[in-house]
Amino acid sequence: MAGLGHTWPNSQDDYELLEVIGVGATAVVHAAYCQPRAEKCAIKRINLEKWNTSMDELLKEIQAMSSCNHENVVTYYTSFVVKEELWLVLRLLEGGSLLDIIKHKMRISNCKHGVFDEATIATVLKEVLKGLEYFHQNGQIHRDIKAGNILLGDEGTVQIADFGVSAWLATGRDLSRQKVRHTFVGTPCWMAPEVMEQNHGYDFKADIWSFGITAIEMATGTAPYHKYPPMKVLMLTLQNDPPTLDTGAEEKDQYKAYGKTFRKMISECLQKDPTKRPSATELLKHSFFKKAKDRKYLVQTLVSIGPSMETRVHKASKRQPGASGRLHRMETGEWVWESEEEDDDEEGDGGRDRPMNQLPRADSSDSDSEGEPAEGAGFTIGSLAAGEAPQIDLVLRMRNANKELNDIRFEFAPGKDSADGIATELVGAGLVAACDAAAIAAQLQRLVDLNLFPAPGGGAPPRSLTFRLDSADPADVLDEKGLVGYAQISIVD
Amino acid sequence: MPLFGKSQKSPAELVRSLKDAVTALERGDKKAEKAQEDVSKNLVLIKNMLYGTSDAEPQTDIIVAQLAQELYNTNLLLLLIQNLNRIDFEGKKDVAQVFNNVLRRQIGTRSPTVEYICTKPEILFTLMSGYEHQEIASNCGTMLRECARYEALAKIMLYSDDFYNFFRYVEVSTFDIASDAFSTFKELLTRHKMLCAEFLEANYDKVFSHYQRLLNSENYVTRRQSLKLLGELLLDRHNFSIMTRYITNPDNLKLMMNMLKEKSRNIQFEAFHVFKVFVANPNKPKPILDILLRNQDKLVDFLTKFHTDRSEDEQFNDEKAYLIKQIKELKPLEH
Repeated sequence: MAGLGHTWPNSQDDYELLEVIGVGATAVVHAAYCQPRAEKCAIKRINLEKWNTSMDELLKEIQAMSSCNHENVVTYYTSFVVKEELWLVLRLLEGGSLLDIIKHKMRISNCKHGVFDEATIATVLKEVLKGLEYFHQNGQIHRDIKAGNILLGDEGTVQIADFGVSAWLATGRDLSRQKVRHTFVGTPCWMAPEVMEQNHGYDFKADIWSFGITAIEMATGTAPYHKYPPMKVLMLTLQNDPPTLDTGAEEKDQYKAYGKTFRKMISECLQKDPTKRPSATELLKHSFFKKAKDRKYLVQTLVSIGPSMETRVHKASKRQPGASGRLHRMETGEWVWESEEEDDDEEGDGGRDRPMNQLPRADSSDSDSEGEPAEGAGFTIGSLAAGEAPQIDLVLRMRNANKELNDIRFEFAPGKDSADGIATELVGAGLVAACDAAAIAAQLQRLVDLNLFPAPGGGAPPRSLTFRLDSADPADVLDEKGLVGYAQISIVD
Repeated sequence: MPLFGKSQKSPAELVRSLKDAVTALERGDKKAEKAQEDVSKNLVLIKNMLYGTSDAEPQTDIIVAQLAQELYNTNLLLLLIQNLNRIDFEGKKDVAQVFNNVLRRQIGTRSPTVEYICTKPEILFTLMSGYEHQEIASNCGTMLRECARYEALAKIMLYSDDFYNFFRYVEVSTFDIASDAFSTFKELLTRHKMLCAEFLEANYDKVFSHYQRLLNSENYVTRRQSLKLLGELLLDRHNFSIMTRYITNPDNLKLMMNMLKEKSRNIQFEAFHVFKVFVANPNKPKPILDILLRNQDKLVDFLTKFHTDRSEDEQFNDEKAYLIKQIKELKPLEH
């Protein structure tokens, strides 16, 4: 019934669901294969029974997507209903989100003085700006620009994704009727002061603030106030001078590798008075973006170093409290904090009124009906809510070749990861000596098993284990407490 | 772009060149590509005239009035809509924006474009048939909902045969098109209260026999949405006589009782809001009363356990308690 060439089938049978690449409160995202087109795609499956707001909200999100036709904005193919689910068929971006890549790079290399070079940052952000420019010309505000919502394709494509909170600035695409919006949506760390204040409404310029924060995120790996709880983030953003590259630095000159032009671009975006911020179109002319290179460059600097899709689906990006998640104000005026990773709305109906807003990359066992505990979900660690992807954050504390204590953080997805595999990966990354792999694998397995299947009546399982290393230097006096010749593996709560 | 717009075309020139370009596009000869470019370019110019740009304010009322007049005289709006599928992606959106802006234009209390469309109802019918075509459906929907805001235009649409096509459009497989059609459908049935009530009364049988199919749809969204709208329609005081008619039909009651037991909690909940009207009716006809009496114990039991977790919803709990009481106290009619 549609034009040629761009039609995607509306039948469940035409799609083969592959691995889960994201999980949210009311939705699961799969990679999928469309048989009639012999083409891969992503399918976002939204459970409509859990969708308690009006269907109009959902329609708005989909219309926001379908009214965009731009290489830097996520490509929507079609949507259809399967039993009680809505399936959104989207372009699959194999590279994952920029946040996945940042986290991966921070895990495998030392990013203390910056995650990406300026050329990479300029190249990605220029693409993001082109998408934003289009978006804004279309009469839309995205409202949640951040690394987690910027996706990368294998060939270096950059697309803005996740329209869950995007809104028409003007209702019914009428640019003249309404100039500002008054809803409170976004993620605190990336949120513009005027959005927090809620006094005057806000416009396109709110996205420019978030864009500036995203620039900092690409350089330092995190948003400036990621360490703080949401309320504190609000206060810091409202009371302090706008953040800079150095706001979250632990040492003076930590980020001195980044130049003046980049810093200037960031400070132009992060002006508290939105009218002083440049528009996306104006920003594109900023001299910082002269450093931008082409897609091939991104393939080299980002996509090829990023986690493979297979690895990525195992790894949930657990963030620091306050680093992510979203706070929004209910109509009643109370502030509601929703952590984006956590399926914290399993039992409550009203809390999540925008269930599509977040689909963080998270591990999930291949659960057909999301919401039902996936395999291994019977166990909870720390604050993990029931029904959340059962993935464990761990830290391996041991001395490196220079005998300095080091924390190696990683994630373990029961049923997907193997202890041996992880140990091999650690060796491969040069983080541990090959002769220690066997001990680490054995202790990792033991710790996970003890916590997954605690002995009945055996009391609380241990949260960490300390063990001998074969690589211990015979010249050293072994010290279990001081971790000399010993290593300690712990579950991070 | 010239700063003071000295090279700007007049509205008449713009409309003429747009019309020429659309006509060429319609012919589909070898210059179609050039024609498409011209269409897009002229649409942007007209849009900027109406909305302004970041560098320029919208044009004065006089210019806009001239533009509107030219659009009426040349019937360009209809031509644009008829050829919407041939216009490129951004151009389609521009057509909708231009159309809606011109439609909203007022001179005092008059809406000249509304008056114009009343004399050219093909515009409305062409827009409605846009739901048949995936690539223009949402653009047409945007324009249709703007039209539906005007009672005169809503009336033409409601009373046309084409209105019944909506029962098909709201069920098409592509979700965004079906939902778009549903929101237009809902707008037509709820926006102008008196008009809607009159329409529903005059066409009760035809509308509700079609409506029944939506409630029995295979498509979960269609079922849920149409049930919710049914509740809203019946509980609107303007539709009182429609409600009283609806709740005298035992088939309707049976359907609601079945929907109360559906697997989906959302559908159960919506069904509750229709079911309650049957029970609350002080003058229940015998067939309705018989069904309720036959199921008296089961209903009391069912309702007692129904959505007990909605403890914070006071109105719902009050209503539920009231229904339980009513059903408990039901007695056969005395003869």
